[in-house]
Amino acid sequence: MFRAALRSLGQHRVRLLLTLLAVVVGVAFVAGTFIFTDSLKQSFDALFSAPQADVTISADSQFASGGQGGGPGSGADQTPTIPVSLLPQVSAVDGVAGAYGMVTATGAIVLDKDGKPVGRAGPPDRAVSWLPDASINALSVSSGQAPQGSNQVALLESTATSAGVGIGDTVTIETSGGQQSYTVTGLVTRGIGGSDGGTLTVFDLPTAQRQMLGNTTTFTSIAVKAMPGVSQNELANRLSKALPGKLKVETGAQRSADIANRLQTAFGFINTFLLAFALIALFVAIFLIFNTFSMLVAQRTRELALLRAVGASRGQVRQSVLAEAAVLGLIAAAIGVLGGIAVSQGLRLLLKVFGADLPSAPLVIQPRTIIVSLILGIGVTLISAYVPARRAASVPPVAAMRDDVSMPAKNLRIRGIIGTVLIVIAALAAYSATRNVNDNMLATRLVGLSAICALIGVIALAPILGRWFIGACGLPLRGNAIGNLAVENGRRNPRRTAATASALAIGLALMSAIGVLAASTKASVAAVVDDTIGADFIVLGANFQPFRPEVFAAVKDTPGTSTVTYTRQIPLAVGDDQGVLTGIQSGKFQQVFNLTMDSGTADNLLPGDAIVDSDTAKRLGISLGQNVPVDYVSGPGFLILRGTYKPAGPITGWISDVQTLTDAGGRELDSAIYVRSAEGSDPTTVKASLDKELAGFPAVKLQDQASLKDQINQQFDRVFGFIYALLALAVIVAFLGIVNTLALSVFERRREVGLLRAVGTSRSQIRRMVVIESVLIALFGALIGLSLGLIYGTLFRKVLESVGISKLAIPTGQIVWFVVLAVVGGIIAALWPAFTASRLDVLKAIASN
Amino acid sequence: MTIAARANSLSKIYGDGDTRVTALDAVDVEIGAQQFTAIMGPSGSGKSTLMHCLAGLDSVTSGQVWIGDTELSSLSDKELTRLRRDSVGFVFQAFNLVPTLSAIENITLPMDIAGRKADPAWLDTVIDTVGLRDRLSHRPSELSGGQQQRVACARALASRPTIVFADEPTGNLDSKSGAEVLGFLRRSVDEFKQTIVMVTHDPNAASYADRVLFLADGRVVDEMFSPTSASVLERMKAFDTARA
Repeated sequence: MFRAALRSLGQHRVRLLLTLLAVVVGVAFVAGTFIFTDSLKQSFDALFSAPQADVTISADSQFASGGQGGGPGSGADQTPTIPVSLLPQVSAVDGVAGAYGMVTATGAIVLDKDGKPVGRAGPPDRAVSWLPDASINALSVSSGQAPQGSNQVALLESTATSAGVGIGDTVTIETSGGQQSYTVTGLVTRGIGGSDGGTLTVFDLPTAQRQMLGNTTTFTSIAVKAMPGVSQNELANRLSKALPGKLKVETGAQRSADIANRLQTAFGFINTFLLAFALIALFVAIFLIFNTFSMLVAQRTRELALLRAVGASRGQVRQSVLAEAAVLGLIAAAIGVLGGIAVSQGLRLLLKVFGADLPSAPLVIQPRTIIVSLILGIGVTLISAYVPARRAASVPPVAAMRDDVSMPAKNLRIRGIIGTVLIVIAALAAYSATRNVNDNMLATRLVGLSAICALIGVIALAPILGRWFIGACGLPLRGNAIGNLAVENGRRNPRRTAATASALAIGLALMSAIGVLAASTKASVAAVVDDTIGADFIVLGANFQPFRPEVFAAVKDTPGTSTVTYTRQIPLAVGDDQGVLTGIQSGKFQQVFNLTMDSGTADNLLPGDAIVDSDTAKRLGISLGQNVPVDYVSGPGFLILRGTYKPAGPITGWISDVQTLTDAGGRELDSAIYVRSAEGSDPTTVKASLDKELAGFPAVKLQDQASLKDQINQQFDRVFGFIYALLALAVIVAFLGIVNTLALSVFERRREVGLLRAVGTSRSQIRRMVVIESVLIALFGALIGLSLGLIYGTLFRKVLESVGISKLAIPTGQIVWFVVLAVVGGIIAALWPAFTASRLDVLKAIASN
Repeated sequence: MTIAARANSLSKIYGDGDTRVTALDAVDVEIGAQQFTAIMGPSGSGKSTLMHCLAGLDSVTSGQVWIGDTELSSLSDKELTRLRRDSVGFVFQAFNLVPTLSAIENITLPMDIAGRKADPAWLDTVIDTVGLRDRLSHRPSELSGGQQQRVACARALASRPTIVFADEPTGNLDSKSGAEVLGFLRRSVDEFKQTIVMVTHDPNAASYADRVLFLADGRVVDEMFSPTSASVLERMKAFDTARA
C-alpha cells in the first residue's frame, strides 16, 4: 500500500511539473522580454555619459539619416557634406574650445587575407575620421595608436578579428577612392561598446576625406568642444546664430537621445514580437492546465464528495481547487521570472548571432517585471482551473457513497452552437475581405478577425470534430483489438482530446500560415526576377555598396556579351516624399530590364527627364509632362515626368539618365552592372570571362538570376527561421500537453489496463495502444492546425497581394513535414506514458478500490 | 481424474524483516479438471493470493505451479501473458469489462488480442447460456451489475480456456443476480466440461461447487466435497471459534 501511495505521489509530481512547465515557458518569455528591454534602457544611460562632442554641426538635409544599409536601394547612400571653409568660422565663435572636421561615411570594405569582404550583407561598412580630442571622441584606442597619414588605419576590435589582422599587419581596404593597403596602427572600441555588426574603419582626416568623399574640401560634420562654463545648449544657440546657411546644430544630449530613440523603436518591434509569442505560449498553457485540473478533479471526485457530505459548501470546494491552482501559478511564475533572466541573456546572444552586438548592460529586474509575471502566471492558472473548480463544486455529496463515480458528461450542444456561429462569422469576414482586397488595411483586419473567430470556433467545435476525425482515422485500425481500443480511448473523452489537440493546432496553424507566406514571398520574388530582369548576369556590390566605375570599364567589352550597362543611384525627395533616383544608360537599360509602362515612354530619356512608378506618381499626384520640383543632397532641382511604370522588382522610384545624376552632384559610383549575353553564347564561358575580369575587384559580386534569387531568399529565410524557432516553442509545449494528457489518462485507466493485462494483453500491445492514441490526438491537432494555417496563410497572401506578394505558393513539402512531425512528436510524447502503462502492476491495478 | 492446475509446496512471502508476512505456506493443491472448485477462508487466509499464484497473475516465492502441463515459475512475462490469454479465463469481483467496448467485443477480447477468430458455434452456445443475445451491442455502462458479470463469465469461457478463475464473482451482486451467475458457472462445468476455481467467502456461493478448499493462515486446512450452504457455514464457524 505504501509503495502504491508513493507511486501515485510520483505521478502527481510529474503531472504538476508538466503543467508548471507550460506556464513557466510563457512567463519566462514575458519576464525575459521585460528584463531585456529594461537592461537595454539602462545601457542607454551609459550612452549619455560617454565622451561625445558637445555640439555637432552638419548639413541640414533630410538625407542626413541615410546609411540604413541592406537591399539594392542602398546604392543610393550619399552623405550630405559641409565645406571646409566653415571650420574657421566655427572656431571663431565665443565659447568654442575646439572644433574638428569629421568624416563619417559608409562604403569602406575591409578585405581579409583571401581578398574577401569582411562582414555581411546588411549592416553598413562604416569609415570615420579620427577625432584627436579624446575628451569628445566616442571612440577610444584600446591598443596601439591612432592612424596618421595616408597609409595607416585603425580598426574596430571586432572588425580586426573578422579580418584576421592585428597591430602592425597590413590590411586591404576598398573604398570609392580605390583599393589600397594600409598598416593597422591601432584597435579601437566604442565608448559604450556594442555595434550593429557592421565593420568600422578609422582613418586620419585627410585620408578619410580623400577615400570616402573624394575631395579634401568638405567634411560630413564638425565636432565642437565647449569651453568650461558654456553649456551645450548655450553653445548650440551661439553657433546657430553665428553660422551662415542651412546647417544642423545638435547638442550631444540631443544626439544621444536620438540614438536611444532609434534603438528603442527598433527593439520595440522585437519586444512586441516576443510578447506575442509569450502570449501564444500562455494561451497553449491554458489548455494544458485545464486538462490537468479537470483530471485532478475527476480523480478526486469521491474525496470531494466526502468533503461535501461532511458539510463543506460548494464555495469551499471550489476555493480549495482554486487555491491549489493559485499556488501552482505562483510557483510557476517565480520559476518563470528566473527563466526570464535566461531568456533575456539568450535574446542578447541570438541578436549577436544575427549581427547586433548590443552594449553590455547590467541585469535590470524591475518590480513591474515581477508583478506582471506573477499576475500572468497566477491569472492564467486560475482562469484555466476555474471551469474544473466549478465542476468540482458540483459533485453531489452522494457521490462519496457510490462505487464507481464518473463526472457527469456535459452536453456538447452549447459548444457546438458557439463554434458554428463563430465559424459563420469567420467565413463572412473572410468573404468580405476578399471583396475588399483593394482597401489593404480593412482587408487585413477582416482576415485577422476571421482568423481569430475561426480559431476559437474550431477549438469550440474540436470535441465534436475530434470524435468524427478519430473515428474516421481509426477505421483502418478497427480490424484489430488494440487499434480498436486506442481509437475508442481517443474518443471517450472528447473534451480532453480536443483541448490537447487544440494546443498543438495553435502552434501548427501559425507555423503553416507563416510557411504559406514565406513560400509565396519567395515565389513572388522569383517571379519578379524572372519577369523584370532581362539581364543574364548582374554585378552588385558585395554588401550592396556602390562601387567604382573601373568595374564597368573592366567588364563592358567582355566577349560573349551583347549589352553591358550600369546604373547609379542617389537619394532624392519630392517634398517630404523621400525616394531613390536611379540613373540609367537610356536605351541600353531597356535591353536588360523589362519595364512595363503604364503611361508615357521610357525611351530617349534626356538629362532632366524622368519616369516614376505608378504608385509614387499617384501618391504625389503628378502627371505626364509635369515639371516636378525635387530635392537632391546637393540642393533643389527639377525633373520632367515622361512616363509611369508598373512597380516591380529591384527598381522602384524615379528613373532618369545617368547624366541627370551627375548634374545633381552624384558621386561617380555604380550601384549595379547588368550584363546580357550575346545570342548563342555559352553562359558558362561568359561567366568565366566575367569572373576573370572581376578578379581584381573583391568588393563586387557576380550573380546570375538564380544566385540573385538565392541571395534574396536567404534574407527571408533568416527572418522566417527566427519566427519558426519561436513558434516551435509553442509546439513543444503542446507536445508536453499530450504527454500530460496521456499520463493522466493512463493513471485514470489503470484498472482497465490491469484488466487488459490479466486477460492476456502483452506489454507491447499496451504500449502500442497508448502510442496509437497519442498519434491520433497529434494528427487531429495537426489536421485542424494545418487546415487553419493553410486557409489563413492563403487569405493573408491574398490581401498582401498589393504589397508585392503576387504569387501564391503552398509549401507542400513543408506541410508533409509538419504531419510527419506530428506523428513522430505523438510517438515521442507517448513513450513515457506508454512505458508506465505497460509496467502497471496487474494485481494492484485490478485490486485497486 | 485429470489435473487442470496444481501447486507444489507453494509459498508466497510479502515484505522483509518485521513486515514479513507469509501469505502462503508450502501449499500443495490439485485442481481437478471439469470440476467446480471453491476456495474459502477468512480474510487474510491467503485465498486470493493462492488464486493469483495459480492463475499466473502473481509470482511465487518458492514452489511450483502448473496449469495443464506448463510450469509457471520458469515463464517470462511474455509467456505468462500468452498463457493467461490462451489458457486461462478470469472473472473479477468488479470492473471486469472494458468500458469502451460493447458486450460482444468484451466477450471476444482475449481472442481479438491474440488475433484469432472465435469458434462461432461455441460463442453462440456461451452467449445463449448467459442469456445476453439482445444486449450484445450495449456498452457496460448500459448493463446492470448482474449482466456485466454474466458478460465477464462469457468472456472467461469464450476461448475455451484450460481453467477459469473467478474472484468473488458475486461479491457485488444482489442474491438473484448472484444466483444467475453461479448457476451459469455450474452449468458450464456440467454441460460444457469446463474447469472453474472460485474464491468466495459466501457459503451459499460455495455450495454450487463440487469441492471446497478451506484456507487458514496460508495453509489448506480442510476440504469438503459436495458441499451445502449449511455444511460450509458450519465449517466456517469452526474457524471463528478457533480464532477466538
